[in-house]
Amino acid sequence: MLFLPAMTGGVRVAFDQIGKRFGNRTVLARVSGVLEPGRVVVVAGPNGSGKSTLLNILAGVLRPSRGTVSYRSGDGELPRGRWFERLGVAAPDMAVYEELSALENLGFFARVRGLRAGAGEHAALLEELGLGPREHRRPVGTFSSGMKQRVKLALAVLHDPAVLLLDEPSSNLDEAGHRVVAALVERFRARAAVAVASNDPREIAWGDARIELAL
Amino acid sequence: MRASSLLSEALAVLGKEWTSELRSRVALNAIGLFALTTLIAVAYQIGPYRISEADRPFLLAALLWIILFFAASSGLARVFVKEEDAHTAKTLRLAARPAAVFAGKLLFNLILLLCLEALIVPLYCALMGFAVRSVAGLALVLAFGAVALASTATIVAAIIARASGSGTLFAILTVPLALPLLVFLIQGTRAAAQADAIAAVFPALRAIVSLAGVTLVASVYLFPVVWHD
Repeated sequence: MLFLPAMTGGVRVAFDQIGKRFGNRTVLARVSGVLEPGRVVVVAGPNGSGKSTLLNILAGVLRPSRGTVSYRSGDGELPRGRWFERLGVAAPDMAVYEELSALENLGFFARVRGLRAGAGEHAALLEELGLGPREHRRPVGTFSSGMKQRVKLALAVLHDPAVLLLDEPSSNLDEAGHRVVAALVERFRARAAVAVASNDPREIAWGDARIELAL
Repeated sequence: MRASSLLSEALAVLGKEWTSELRSRVALNAIGLFALTTLIAVAYQIGPYRISEADRPFLLAALLWIILFFAASSGLARVFVKEEDAHTAKTLRLAARPAAVFAGKLLFNLILLLCLEALIVPLYCALMGFAVRSVAGLALVLAFGAVALASTATIVAAIIARASGSGTLFAILTVPLALPLLVFLIQGTRAAAQADAIAAVFPALRAIVSLAGVTLVASVYLFPVVWHD
């Protein structure tokens, strides 16, 4: 599989006693763990147990009400404002630009990330994720949910992230799409710290470790 | 470390904004239609002859900026509101530096405002018989006025984007922030209409540049907090 050249070096994500409250409602209570290269951590639990909230906190887009998250690489601890440089995320509450084509979306996100790869590499990545050449130049707004999910996965791995957070990565995907995601997780298992939030037994089976959240 | 510069990342955001806008034309249509409708209504009701010669520079300068300001208000907030509505904000947040996002969106709003001025001001001068004695002075007021208005609109748009009822909030927050600016824009435009010398607009221009500077500096510090939290 093709991945575009970016930063190298592993990142270890440690989270300790994470809690999150929205008003009076406690969504997460004292969750701790570690993400590190070489193993996939699965976050499981019933709907509303806080799987997506935990991934949002680990991604730095949501602040925890209590507890700490740290990203540590060979250069020391990364400040929160720079986590995104080493992070790839695909989640149901993220979208891509519908007016742009799949290639234009990848081109835009590559430019804002400072990557030098061109359209050829982006096209190869889309094909690896199951989007044929005929789909590359169509506006994403005309895509099915499954095709949009493949574009989101391409954006998540575009920069060869050291930390990969996947929230229900096979949602909207057919059987072939599920196999593509499984292969993606397998490729990243050794090189990145990977977390997958899911209730799908097939996705839960990818995990080397499991965090079970309760309501 | 990143290979690219902040400028190239900001230009990428600007390019994306223009491509999206040219394909959807939501902001262009909203701003253009509002501006043309109000211009035609004002020209039809008041026209070039219903204002005395003495009052003309005062009233016509004020009317021009009322048209430009409210037309701009109808579309400039979209740069951030549409990202939240379309759920692309999180995708962008996780890929781009806040400074690049703000700079790209500010440049987009600035270009939109300059296009609006290029379309409306000549039409307004022709339809309303607004004679400008210092064209260079007016051009300076319009250019720096666009920078100041775009800066105010962009940071307010970022602040209100995640709130429900963002359209109402945008007006409520922008009007008091833009009011002092509008006063100086009207003063500068009036000065350009009355005096041949470009120096006549300098007092108002100094105030406009100061307000633009303050807004830009405040935005540089405020935006990362607004964007991430």
